[in-house]
Amino acid sequence: MAGARRPTAPPEADGGTGDTGVTADALLVVRAAEGDEDAFATLVQRHAPALLRLATRMLRTPAEAEDAVQDAFLSAWRRLPEFQGEASFGTWMYRIVTNRCLNVLRARRPVAPLEAAGEVPAAEHATSPARITEGRDAVRELRDALDLLSAEQRACWVLRELDGRSYEFIADAVGISQEAVRARVFRARRCLTRALGAWR
Amino acid sequence: MTTHTDPPEGARADGDDESLPCGRPLSRVWDDWERQTDDPHTATCPHCRTAVDDLALLESAVRGLREETPDPSAHDAEPLTRRVMDLVRLELRPGRPLPLGEPAEDLWIMETVAARVLRAAAETVEGVRAGSCRIVDADGHEGGAVEVRLDIHAPADAALRPLAERVRQRVREAADRELGLVTASVDIRVTDLVDVRAEGREGDTA
Amino acid sequence: MTAHTPSAAQTVLVEDIARVVEDVPGVAFLRPGLAARLRSALSRPDPGAGRTPTAGVRLTPGADDTAGWHVDVHVVVVRRARAVDVARAVRSAVETHLALRFPARPGARVRVTITGQV
Repeated sequence: MAGARRPTAPPEADGGTGDTGVTADALLVVRAAEGDEDAFATLVQRHAPALLRLATRMLRTPAEAEDAVQDAFLSAWRRLPEFQGEASFGTWMYRIVTNRCLNVLRARRPVAPLEAAGEVPAAEHATSPARITEGRDAVRELRDALDLLSAEQRACWVLRELDGRSYEFIADAVGISQEAVRARVFRARRCLTRALGAWR
Repeated sequence: MTTHTDPPEGARADGDDESLPCGRPLSRVWDDWERQTDDPHTATCPHCRTAVDDLALLESAVRGLREETPDPSAHDAEPLTRRVMDLVRLELRPGRPLPLGEPAEDLWIMETVAARVLRAAAETVEGVRAGSCRIVDADGHEGGAVEVRLDIHAPADAALRPLAERVRQRVREAADRELGLVTASVDIRVTDLVDVRAEGREGDTA
Repeated sequence: MTAHTPSAAQTVLVEDIARVVEDVPGVAFLRPGLAARLRSALSRPDPGAGRTPTAGVRLTPGADDTAGWHVDVHVVVVRRARAVDVARAVRSAVETHLALRFPARPGARVRVTITGQV
């Protein structure tokens, strides 16, 4: 499936309303907003795996990812009474988790670039681009190179490339324009192609 | 031949795009590739080809990275759910106390506890799903009685009036039998119609 | 600031009432206090394990020794029991207990609130 972009299930699809056995997210959200913590527990169970995966992709450290998702759910519980359902619960949670991750990444920035720069010596790539082949090496280098991105570039890039989200979705989740998302993904890609040594 | 090439808005606004030796902005070449736009120039231009190859190489590494993250179903969310709920229980919103039994008995039940029971009662009617359930002291009653306002999703093929009547009946019964709450009125509002035949749709994020 | 500090005797009485309440059929447990819930959130073992938690019982003595007690009880009940019946049973158990302990005093005023079902 070369080049195939397989988006993960969009959060909107969660809690399909047609099923008699499953209570739709929208109903659980109303109940939780009215203080029903059992309804909230169901929402947490339902959405935690996808959100954990998102946070893990953004932050790459499982402990930080779990903290981010936990904080996001707690913040959601507090804000539920004001949540008007202008988005689906899944999309709303995506937005909150993305913001948490952005904050973590921003707090990380002062240290990371120096370390990462040490690990990815650009000169080496420039002299031997041919040694970059497919496989584990490239994946490892890509992983390291992610630390070269700004927090915003990284968030947009992860949502686009690892999570398979549309530019429209990302713009909504990050709270910026689609054009700004495109620009960040572009810059991230340029930075990463260079880091991988593929650049001329 | 086009000398006028439009890079995507964002890249231009940032002013950090660059042009390939053939004159095409890199952002546009990659954008076209992503959109799978057919373009005779890109197909033949060696500079554009190289740029696309670079991106394709990145994409293949990205696929490897994507596969590294465990499948969400493999992720055990149970401990996280428990931790979140432990924290949530420090910040419960139980609502207001509602009077149980006869007036002035000084026995009470918190609104969220009663609402959970009444929603469950409504859902004993086939195909009904309960949403908002507000329970308030009934006006004009000397303590004791409450008014229930319940929103439900109903099956699309149901006759709504009899359905609402059945739900109202179940709610009244549960309020009395399971709680001991005296209901002055039970208002049922159908807020959505659900096609129950659309089965097999899982509410799962995996 | 003279916050109401319960006497040792009163603390013992609260513990007695808590035990009486938890013995009422249909009562799952007294509403846990913030401390217990915090311990749960932090996954710490409960140092008071084995003792009846008393956060769900508030006891206000009357103005003097001749006045009745005012007791406020917050309980979590089991789902299959009828809530009002459990609440009444709790009230009467507490009233009976206090009447036996303080026969000279007028009857206690007991308020019962159901804060959860399990």
